[in-house]
Amino acid sequence: MDHRPQAWGRPRDDVYGAYDYSYLQSGGPKQMTQSPVVTGTSVIGIKFKDGVILAADNLASYGSLARFTDVKRLRVFLGTSVVGFGGDVSDMQYLDRHLNELAIDESYEGGGAQEEHGEKGKLNAANLHTYLHKLMYRRRNDFDPLWNQVLVAGLDAAGKPHLSSVDLRGTAFTSPSLATGFGAALAQPIMRKYAATEEDAARLTRDQAVKVVQDCMKVLYYRDARSLDKYSIAVVTKDGVELKEDEQLEKQSWAFAEQIRGYGTQTV
Amino acid sequence: MTSIGTGYDLANSIFSPDGRNFQVEYAVKAVENGGTSIGIRCKDGVVLAVEKVVTSKLLKQGANKRIATVDRHLGVVYSGMIPDGRHFIDRARDESRSWRDTFKTPIPTADLASRMGGYMQAYTLYQSVRPFGITAIVGGFDSELEAAVDGVVGSGPSVGAGGKAAGKKYGGPFLYMIEPSGLYWGYYGAATGKGRQAAKAELEKLDLGSGALSLLDAVKEAARIIYVAHDDNKDKEFELEMSWISGADGPTKGLHQEVPKALREEAERLAKKSLEDEDDDDEKKEDDKMQE
Amino acid sequence: MEFGNSGCLSEDGIHVDMDRLKKGEVNLGTSIMAVTFKDGVILGADSRTTTGAYIANRVTDKLTRVNDTIWCCRSGSAADTQAVADIVQYQLGLFAMMNGKPPTTQTAVSIFQDICYANKDRLSAGLIVAGWDERHGGQVYSIPLGGSLHKQSYAIGGSGSTYIYGFCDANWKEGMEEEDAVNFVKEALKEAIKWDGSSGGVIRMVVLTEKGADRHLYLPDTEYQVRHE
Repeated sequence: MDHRPQAWGRPRDDVYGAYDYSYLQSGGPKQMTQSPVVTGTSVIGIKFKDGVILAADNLASYGSLARFTDVKRLRVFLGTSVVGFGGDVSDMQYLDRHLNELAIDESYEGGGAQEEHGEKGKLNAANLHTYLHKLMYRRRNDFDPLWNQVLVAGLDAAGKPHLSSVDLRGTAFTSPSLATGFGAALAQPIMRKYAATEEDAARLTRDQAVKVVQDCMKVLYYRDARSLDKYSIAVVTKDGVELKEDEQLEKQSWAFAEQIRGYGTQTV
Repeated sequence: MTSIGTGYDLANSIFSPDGRNFQVEYAVKAVENGGTSIGIRCKDGVVLAVEKVVTSKLLKQGANKRIATVDRHLGVVYSGMIPDGRHFIDRARDESRSWRDTFKTPIPTADLASRMGGYMQAYTLYQSVRPFGITAIVGGFDSELEAAVDGVVGSGPSVGAGGKAAGKKYGGPFLYMIEPSGLYWGYYGAATGKGRQAAKAELEKLDLGSGALSLLDAVKEAARIIYVAHDDNKDKEFELEMSWISGADGPTKGLHQEVPKALREEAERLAKKSLEDEDDDDEKKEDDKMQE
Repeated sequence: MEFGNSGCLSEDGIHVDMDRLKKGEVNLGTSIMAVTFKDGVILGADSRTTTGAYIANRVTDKLTRVNDTIWCCRSGSAADTQAVADIVQYQLGLFAMMNGKPPTTQTAVSIFQDICYANKDRLSAGLIVAGWDERHGGQVYSIPLGGSLHKQSYAIGGSGSTYIYGFCDANWKEGMEEEDAVNFVKEALKEAIKWDGSSGGVIRMVVLTEKGADRHLYLPDTEYQVRHE
């Protein structure tokens, strides 16, 4: 019997063997602290002549369970930029609140700074992207990443359309079209047909771009098992943000299933 | 307050034998030398205004704002020592941020006033500090709508929540004034600074308690009152600075914002006109008397 | 579930295998739900708590009061969810005293969510928070494992909930009368208890309205027909 006080109330070593202190996790190298639980799937975005379009469906999955079907994953910042979130929903909410506080910081400056500098006085989408990039990279270096893939849409300091992405590792991109998750494999090739370069994107009209995005959302719904046919779409231009959060995928193609009989030689 | 402290005024947190804290009373003096600030709470919003004394011709016009936004729906104006006011605002911003962090909703105006009142009062207690040389006016519009938790997703039942108590109203415009002692009250109309007496007299005439005055009229009244109050500070140039807060359905959509330039200039024009008319009236009366 | 030495109390009745305590302690297995209705909200739960396949408690109360008319349904580790509920109860009590008015459901869920999100790698807590307050009426929020916050018209949770997604979706109506809402909760939980081995025992409910909190109890030996007084 071990009579030392530090052994009181603990399993006896002679009966159970030494206690495995690794459960206590004190010391040793830091580990990844989390994995996503409630998740959103792809976000897609494309630039056009006067701005940027962003879209994401309204689903938050719990593993393969389609658990929450009214989750709005496009968030407006300062009425001039939109951030689209893929990945963990709790981290999305953290970032949303963080950006809300950032927006309040901006309001401290009031109308004065904007009267003086016009739109340049505001935190634009390019600035916001830089900020999110640093935030995400910092968190991954702390081994406590925010489990999201994020698209930022808006205008840059010159008033040109801006579209960019950051992921949980702090990797940042900008491109005429961008997509996260399944969208990177399924939507990007479609969007690149219309906006492979900045010049191509600058020729796209708003209606064309909306059509491309709708087509991409349809393909994603056909082929992404974590997607939903209800989605949100945001159009960002110099006039502000038009956000529609309750869109339904239309004109789907299923009737061809009629032609499919058996799996090989069968014809009836 | 003409008496001399006879030694009891040399340190904070020391009462005089007749129960006064001289340091606080001297702080009030600092306020009474500052440009006049006022706040009006009317039926559909709050207006804040300040007589910003121009201390140098080298200062840029319209720069160096005196009214500050503390949270989207909250504004603060103050009279007295400007650096003290700046610190007050920093603290108010921290308080409203910490409320948001905990409760994920905007801080109610009353709670901010309470926290800031407590903060100022703490500066009357210790030897190591001095009281704030400001009186601050805090204006806010607490949302009348259902407050969503910041960052929440999902929307609940499409028919709306059931079981609400019928016929009750929540939120609305609020106005508080906090003095160097930490004392604060809620007001319909508040005034502080050099021209406070004249301003208070004008505010009382407005019958704000009845809730008849509209926000737009309140903006015009605020401008006029600052011009009236400037009478006490005639030898100095000043700029009028004004901000307002309406409800979600009003002109500022629940946000604390600077009064738009066009409206402010219109209000100033009316203010000047009303002062001139008054002068004319005075002259006329004197004429009448002579004739009698 | 196999029973070796591990998981059982050893002969002296005091020393318990630490390894087993860590992994299995008290199971997620449960069926909980909360619904909004015309006058407020109803919370409902089964009463089974398991350690592996053993029913550690057959009359558990998983409906926990954090303020007069703000309650939560707990699923996940009993210890974790009790600790979280205790903290929130304390905070809301403090809030009520300091502000001189009862907290809103919003206040409660933000504190709940704060704790669940900040400690996401230490907690296994799946909570449904439901409350009534005079300003906002009845509201239901779900806080699943990662600590996200979802406002819903009704919420289901726990292992038993997976069996009743279809039932609930098919039978849900917004703005029901109290009687219909009680029936909806009862029938849903009956299905969950029927199909989920980790759910069982009695059905408990709490109805939160302007009138306060009203407890219901339904027993399996009367086919959950009679409200037990």
